[in-house]
Amino acid sequence: MSGATRLRAEPVSLVAAGAVTPFGADLDAFWSGLVTGSDGISTIERFPVDDLRVGRGGEIKKLRPLPSVRRVGCRATLLLLAAAEDLLARAPISAEPERIAVVLGTALGGVGELERAMAPGGRPRHAVNALYDSPAHALARRLGARGPVMTVGAACAAGATALGTGADLLRADVVDVVIAGGYDALCRFVMRGFDALRSLTRERVRPFDRRRSGLLLGEAAALVLMTREGASPGPRLGRLLGHASASDGSHIAAPDANGRGLELAARTALDEAGLTAADVDFVSAHGTGTLVNDRIEADVLRRVLGRRASEIPVNSIKGSLGHTMGAAAALEAVMCLMAGRDGIVPKTLGLEEPDPVCELDHVIGAPRAARPRISLSTSLGFGGCNAALVLEGS
Amino acid sequence: MRVGARVQAVGVLTGWGVGVAALPADARAAATAHPVVRLTRPPLDGERFRRATRECLLGVAAVQQMLDDAGLDRAAIAGPRTALLFVTAGAYGASNVEFLAGRAGTLHFPYTAPSALSAEVAIEFGLTGAYVILIGGPTATVDALWQGGRMVQDGRCDRALVLAVETFDECETLWRRARWTLPVPLVEAAACALLLPGSAEAAPAGGHRDGALETAVQQRAGSTLACGPLIALALAREAGGGTTSVRGTWRGRQATIEMTTTGREARN
Repeated sequence: MSGATRLRAEPVSLVAAGAVTPFGADLDAFWSGLVTGSDGISTIERFPVDDLRVGRGGEIKKLRPLPSVRRVGCRATLLLLAAAEDLLARAPISAEPERIAVVLGTALGGVGELERAMAPGGRPRHAVNALYDSPAHALARRLGARGPVMTVGAACAAGATALGTGADLLRADVVDVVIAGGYDALCRFVMRGFDALRSLTRERVRPFDRRRSGLLLGEAAALVLMTREGASPGPRLGRLLGHASASDGSHIAAPDANGRGLELAARTALDEAGLTAADVDFVSAHGTGTLVNDRIEADVLRRVLGRRASEIPVNSIKGSLGHTMGAAAALEAVMCLMAGRDGIVPKTLGLEEPDPVCELDHVIGAPRAARPRISLSTSLGFGGCNAALVLEGS
Repeated sequence: MRVGARVQAVGVLTGWGVGVAALPADARAAATAHPVVRLTRPPLDGERFRRATRECLLGVAAVQQMLDDAGLDRAAIAGPRTALLFVTAGAYGASNVEFLAGRAGTLHFPYTAPSALSAEVAIEFGLTGAYVILIGGPTATVDALWQGGRMVQDGRCDRALVLAVETFDECETLWRRARWTLPVPLVEAAACALLLPGSAEAAPAGGHRDGALETAVQQRAGSTLACGPLIALALAREAGGGTTSVRGTWRGRQATIEMTTTGREARN
């Protein structure tokens, strides 16, 4: 374990969360779906998939109507607004509008709108909403937030970097409240892309399993309300203690063969938290279910956790929901905190026969009774993006 | 916002040419009837770049231009102690349109991700440190300058590169739909600033008031979106450096940062 190289960062409170996932329209549905081992994967119905090798994914079948919102055409924005509705029902925002920031991670932004604009009979004006930062601005308008509005485009690691960036804004006293998280919506654009790359499995998603054969995509939005320590009275979900990102600098689409970027991100996030591997109680892995990702990630976790690698529970929620891309890291961060709150760690759905090359203390078969205080959450994305979060449950 | 970092060098490429010296006095007049002023594909050859898009190569060329401006070689920025912060409002648009139109091959899909551009830059220059990608216009670049400055100030890295790239040519029809928000000409650009540790308390100099540089960039370069604040820093360097207020406006929001720039003659 590397020693702390700089001052420990000021922890930031994660007061409350809101989410929409394939399990349902709110955070409770997300959590109960994970704990009960539900399967959020289904045949995609919202757009044609007949011409694709794989037409399944974690599709959200139904969203609650949004009160006082005029018709929203952009699916990604709709998911975000639904997650915000859930969040606001749990924790109202109390700060001056200029002191509220919105920081969101996404892999696809509003690209579904570009698809609409370019479709036969489509309207080019939709293309303006296809800019990847459009959904974040729509959410800021909905919340009345007039502070910074930032969209992190670090592919599937974007949600983690968004939380880290939000923490930086609070630590620097730029704002008092940050609404941070991630989102992405399923659309033909992304399904076609991953289908063409042969990344999607025709079987079930099996993170770290010897039979794993690829990922499935999902859609979701997850938001957390962040404040400085002590600024928000009442209960909170937990704290963000550390965050780091790192570039592989090795390949456009594949992770570095030795996982150097992910290892640097994980070690640096622990340094920022002022912690070592000895303090980690739980790891939420990226765990996509692809041959390469899972082997490299397991290698990295064994190196980072050292001798304790065999005794720290590890899970991946991508077997349950699919890979929700920009939402994934934010959902996983929330999952870590809820595990700490309720004393239960969800199992990795689809993992039945752990691959020896992915050897770790996987949560298999049933949720595990454990109350993790310190969690490490790891994320990777296209473009050599790596990020890690260190979280503390309340 | 102020950060404890100084701008040591800025590389600028625009549809007008290399560096801020190539900018016309009046972009609108210079563009005549052309709504888009295009940047040509940089002549970077080799097996590694065979699939790289024009915008990826522009990113690589902008970083090289910054190194030339700083008088540094590539080894000076390689490794885990250099942070890379990439910003764009829409440079991913060309790849997305290409993919949706079915004109691209199977392996093109990863290039639709904004991170493909920064990945090519990271691979080319061996950048393996902190990594942030922000999507948005000039305000996002100001945010990136702030974040990069914080990283340098906090010791999270020894130096930070803030890179911005904007292309319009392949999506001209779509961008022109947004002409009510973007004054023409739309000028393709790629720019990179090198941030090093420095004083946040340098005395104001140069006489640039809030927004003055932003106006100058729009006047001389045209609409360069995320590249605008970096071109502003290059103009400030050209004018002798000092503490400069750089503002960005995008989607009805403004962000401002005060940064100290090293004058071009004072480089070391």
